[in-house]
Parts: sequence; structure tokens; C-alpha cells
Amino acid sequence: MSASTSGTSAPAAASRKSLKAFSEDVWKNKTAKINAELFTLTYGSIVSQLCTDYERDFTRVNNQLYSMGYNIGVRLIEDFLARTALPRCDSLAKTSEVISKCAFKVFLNVTPQIGNWSSNKDSFSIFLEENPLSDFVELPMDAARELWYSNIVCGVLKGALEMVQMDCDVWFVSDVLKGDQLTEVRVKLNRILKDEIPAGED
Amino acid sequence: MDPNGAPEMTEHQKIQVQFQLFQESLPKVDETVYRMLLNESIPLAIDVEKRLSQKLDSLPTEDPVLESLDKEVHSKLVLNPLKGNVRSNKLLQHYLTADIDYQAKVKLRLSKIGFSLGEKLSELLIFSNNPNFNFKDMDLLTVMKFLCRDVWRQLFGKQIDNLKTNHRGTFYLLDYNYKPVESFALEENMSKQEQTLLEPYLEIPCGVIQGVLASLGFRKESEVSCNASIVEVPESRTTSQRMNSWAVSFNVQVVPASDS
Amino acid sequence: MAIQTILVINKSGGLVYQRDFSASAPRLSSNEYLVLAGTLQGVVAIASQITPKSLQITRKTGSKSGSDANHSSQLVPYVGALGSSAVPAQELGSFMGPDYFNEAFTSWNTTGLKHVTTDQNSLFLYQTLTGVKFVAVSSQSATSTMAVSIAENLLRKAYCLYVDYVMKNPFYEPEMPIKCELFDKRLGELVAQL
Repeated sequence: MSASTSGTSAPAAASRKSLKAFSEDVWKNKTAKINAELFTLTYGSIVSQLCTDYERDFTRVNNQLYSMGYNIGVRLIEDFLARTALPRCDSLAKTSEVISKCAFKVFLNVTPQIGNWSSNKDSFSIFLEENPLSDFVELPMDAARELWYSNIVCGVLKGALEMVQMDCDVWFVSDVLKGDQLTEVRVKLNRILKDEIPAGED
Repeated sequence: MDPNGAPEMTEHQKIQVQFQLFQESLPKVDETVYRMLLNESIPLAIDVEKRLSQKLDSLPTEDPVLESLDKEVHSKLVLNPLKGNVRSNKLLQHYLTADIDYQAKVKLRLSKIGFSLGEKLSELLIFSNNPNFNFKDMDLLTVMKFLCRDVWRQLFGKQIDNLKTNHRGTFYLLDYNYKPVESFALEENMSKQEQTLLEPYLEIPCGVIQGVLASLGFRKESEVSCNASIVEVPESRTTSQRMNSWAVSFNVQVVPASDS
Repeated sequence: MAIQTILVINKSGGLVYQRDFSASAPRLSSNEYLVLAGTLQGVVAIASQITPKSLQITRKTGSKSGSDANHSSQLVPYVGALGSSAVPAQELGSFMGPDYFNEAFTSWNTTGLKHVTTDQNSLFLYQTLTGVKFVAVSSQSATSTMAVSIAENLLRKAYCLYVDYVMKNPFYEPEMPIKCELFDKRLGELVAQL
């Protein structure tokens, strides 16, 4: 009986593609698409219903959106991994790159900027210049102060990253809907869940 | 429906193609996230109901000792548990055990989400110069056809498979391959439990239908009703493709306003 | 290559799915399958432990020099014949077409167990980043790289099916045994194409 851990030979350099070109290709040729406006409207209906249900207690709405996102994230990550078969990221920088250039591109067709790295490189910001969730949205006065309209994004990221063994905090720093200059999502890596990493990787 | 001859049809087709191109040129997002968003609203609605009802009767019904033990075990098993976060499949189980009143509230919530979506959706479709829609002959049947064709295609990428009517305001919209539940593991002959679980997944489109009708003038609640049920499909229908032996039937009742 | 059995093992080493595809498949009791799953889980862990450190280091240094997504890893060549045309182009998930991917994909697994071969059988293993493992048992002794890459392609497609029909089924409880008719059916179709 022989057990092997060897892989196939190294690939031809030509078959390598940059992450950006790869995502572009996936988006163009392998993705079933729907109208972004429909997506925006659907999300809007959900949020407004939540605001009614919680009698405009926006903290609860934020939480509810977050946990909805979490439940989506833990499933969406599998979808993402199965289709793209990307290797594990060896640094948080790489992770951020995959999130912006690949995940956001493939699912929402936007490529947010990454920046604002902390000095010890354990947290970064995602700047959503375009946000398909909140196109054409204007928050009513009372909501503008407390509601994080797109809070579902944080939940999705949280859930997805947790499934690839990264315990992160994800939260909104600012949102153009609230009159801020930028829409900024902050991701902070607390720890890598070492025990959870499937063996076979280092 | 179109009384014109063949050359007119090609003109009509041309417009259709143009419209299609226009639709394709609009910004897009991935279908998966949309479907997930749509389907996740069901657990969401259950969760909201759960949290709201907890607030009312704050007395814990379960044995407090057991519960605290449960929580302790939970906090050890689950990494960084989100405060009050419940996995969606658990929520669905919760729904199953809840009473009818509770279930009705969840469904109403979903239907409301659908309603506000429907209202906006018809605007989106009409004001995009949709050639399939004409304000001049806006009778009920045309509206229903618009629902079956354009609204459904927008929502689920397919049309309603069969539209039946008694021409007196009752319509049956049959969908043989209802997309949102396409990937669910359901038995050929659904158990009662599965049927119950499926019900909330039919509520959003019900709301959408009502919303679209409302935005087109069929507004009064007493005049319009819509409910969905699961019906068996006649054998001949199932042969064409991979199809379920059941279909979703959206039953729309519109009581015409007494002419005033 | 005749696939006899496909197993799915969750991230903690529990068997969540087992299905035989041929009459000649070895008859194991469910208990034995559970043991097999647990053993594989352990072997995967050990395989990565005994991988010579030098190998890992070259991989690591290689990965630092480039920014390409696929730079540091090997590619599994795309095997065209697999999973094509039998299923009509349709609605599966977000990625269109019967073939979910039509190019070589990156195999990031450089130190874990990939296959086990005896004179009469081989066993292939594909592990996902979330820790789910897909295992195929074949009735042939297959050692060629071709066979391995076919198996990796197959198992990755099985992963795609898992995503579509198990993860997207809201009633499925994560980590628990899979009882999904559609998953069964699609997996059967996939294996039948081989």
C-alpha cells in the first residue's frame, strides 16, 4: 500500500492568471445574473419591514440584519470556494485582496478598495464606493443616526470568514447614506482558529 | 392576443429584442446572493417573530437550570457566539413547532415584504418602456399576463407555466418548477411537515402579486386576495422535463369594484 | 475508472454521507464506515505532519515572491470529459452550464493526503478550505497523475453539488448526515458519466 501526498507537476506559467482577470472571467462567463435593481428593491423591502416590526428600534434592526447576514455567509462561503477553488490565503493582506477583487466582484460586481491597514496588520477597511444594496436609498431622518442600512454585509463577512477559521470582528465605520464621505467597513482579525484548520495545511 | 399579421410580429419582435438588450445592459448582481437573500428572509421573519414574542412574555418557559447549562455548553461549543444569533435551520424547526397563530404572523410579515417589493417592482418594469405593457387596455387579464410573464421573469428568471381563469376575477397561476425551493430536498410525496415548512416560502410572491395589483389600481384589500397552495400536477405535464409531481398554485381573487 | 463509493466527511471527522455506486462495492457496516471516516481524518492530519519540512519551506518562499492567485500552488489539469453535456445546461447555482469550471484549478493541498492506493483499489480525497472532505473509492489501482486529477475534478464537482443541494437547503443542519434526494440524484448522474 502506498500513500501519496505528492501533487501534479508545476503548471505552465502561461496558465496563471491574476486574481482580477480570474474574477472578471468568472463574472462574465460563469455567473447567472439578475437585475441589480431588483436586488436593491428586495433588500429595501426587507429592511423597511424590519424597521416597522421593531418599531424603529434601529439597534435591533442592525442586529437582525447582522445575524441574517451571518446565516447567509456560512453558506455563501462554500459556494464561493467550490466554484473558485482558490487556495488558502497565506496572509490577511491576501484575504483582503480575495474579498475585494474576487468575492465582491463575483457576487455583487463591485470591486471595493482596501486600505487603512492597522500598524500590526491585523485589521483593514473595505471602502465601498458602489453599494448595490443601497442604490437610490435615502434614509429617513430618524433612521440616519442609528441604522446601518447595509449591515447584512458585515454579517456575511463574519460568517464566511469564520468558516475559513478566521475569527473576525466586522463593523461599519461610516456610510454615505448617513452623510459620511465614504462607506467604510472595518474588518479586524481577532485570531486564527488553529484547532479548526483542517489538517493538511500549515 | 396580437391580431396583427406576420410583418407586424417582426416589428413586435424587434421591440422585444431591443427591450431584452436594454434589460441586459442594466447593472447586475449574482443570482445566488439574490436567491439567498430571498430565502433567508423566511428564517429572518421567524426570528423577528420569536424575538418579539419573547419580549412580551419574558418568562422563560424552559427549565432555567437546564437552560443555563445548555447555554454554557453552547458557549463552549460555538466559537464566539453571536448574541442571540440562531442558525436558520433551527429557526425553521422552531416555526414547525409553533402554533398556527404564530405561523400566520410570520407569513403576514413575509407577505408584507413581498407587497412592498411588488409595488416598487411594477414601477420598475412599467417605466422601463416595457413593450409588453400598454396602459390603454389595462384590463385585469392583461395585468395578470403581465404578472405571469414579466414580473415572474424578473423575479425568478422564468414565466408562470399555466394561467387559468374563470373570467370572473379568479385566477390560478401555476408554477411547475418554483425556483426558490428548487434545491430543497423534498420527497416526491410531501409529508404534512414538509408542506408546512414550504408554506412560508410561498408568501413573498403572494405579497408581490398583491403589491403589483395594488400599484395598478386594484388596491382595496377586500377586493384582492392571493394565497398559494401546493397542488398535484397532471401526469402529462411532468414528462417534458425534470419536473416535480407537484406545483405551486397562486390563487388570486379579484372582486371587480362595482362600477362607479 | 469505476467509482464504487463516495463519502463525505465533515470537518470534525464524522461521516455525513455514504453511497455505493456499484454492486461490487465493498460491503461495510455503517460502523465500519464511521471508523473509516475517523481514520481518514487522522491520517490526513498525520500526512501533513510527516511531510518533509523542506517541501513546505520551498512552497512558502515561493508564495511570497508573487502576487498571482495561483502562484504558489499546483494546478490540477482540467479533464474535459468529466461532467460534460449529459446534464442539460441549466439552473445549477450561480455558475452557469453543466460544467461548473472549464479549466485547470488550483490544488492548494500540498501536504495533506490525496490518495491511497492498493493493488486493487484506490481511494481519493479532496478536502475543502472549510474542512469538509470528499472521498471516492475506485475499483482500480490508479497511480497515474491522470487518475488523480480525474478524481480531484470529480470530487470538486461533488463539492459543487454539495453546495447547491445541501448547503442551499435551508432545512439541512450543518455537520449532520445528509439526506437529500436531489444531491443523491445529481451525484449519481455525475458518477454515471465517468
